[in-house]
Amino acid sequence: MSEFLEATVDKFTFKVATDRLYSDDHLWLRMADGLVSIGLTDYLQQSSGDVAFAEPEAEGTQLAAGDILANIETMKTMLDIPSPLSGVIKTVNPRLEDEPELVNQDPYGEGWLVQLEATDWEAVQKNLLDPQSYYERMKAEAEEEARKL
Amino acid sequence: MSENKRVVVVPCSGIGKTYGTVGREAAYELVETLRPDSSEVVALSLLVLGDADTRARVQAAPAITVDGCKLACASKMVTESGGRVAYEANVLDTFRRHRQLKPKGIAELNPEGQELARQMAEELAEAADEILREGEA
Repeated sequence: MSEFLEATVDKFTFKVATDRLYSDDHLWLRMADGLVSIGLTDYLQQSSGDVAFAEPEAEGTQLAAGDILANIETMKTMLDIPSPLSGVIKTVNPRLEDEPELVNQDPYGEGWLVQLEATDWEAVQKNLLDPQSYYERMKAEAEEEARKL
Repeated sequence: MSENKRVVVVPCSGIGKTYGTVGREAAYELVETLRPDSSEVVALSLLVLGDADTRARVQAAPAITVDGCKLACASKMVTESGGRVAYEANVLDTFRRHRQLKPKGIAELNPEGQELARQMAEELAEAADEILREGEA
């Protein structure tokens, strides 16, 4: 069971799971059993709106860092999710086709996007944010967005 | 159909939101065109205000709620007002079934949004028929 850091900004509360790493693009990454699971952070899913379609690239797809990992269409916008690392997609979350709302309902759990075999996980980790660093970055961004409203 | 065999339709009041507009347009299509004799719109804002007449209308007939987002304000307000939600519709679910109909616009929907509202109205009409059939059984 994950534990969370929580930031309340305006009327919204954003969670950051403490058991994984984060990219600058508001994705989380967690290594387990040789595969890196990737998903949207709570902040990204909340700020993007209800997900209508979540479509990761197919299993077996070779990705370079920055390649499109998934396309997500929400009520507000279309998201091209860039891969935070190089590797091969081993598993696509099979539930997303029929239940894309999982990305909103459980972003750190059942709403994961893909599991990827990383080309060089050790090197990639150095460029990722730990939970506390991501929390501070996300909170600052959320507060900046709130000031614009 | 007798006059008391009606459903009330409570659409999202998401003013300024595209999906809210689709829901409202679908509700209007239902009550004005598809099922004028067996359905009527109830304004969500009046339920929020606790208007006695509106609460009575919701309590007197099965309700179809049409929500524009996961907050489901219409469904929640019908329940809080003592009504019975007989069918819950959500614009996002309808859009998932008609992906080519991407709605845009707020005050005036784009053609795809208008068609999505019509498709949703057809779904609501089927739901209304089913509810009223069950009521007669």
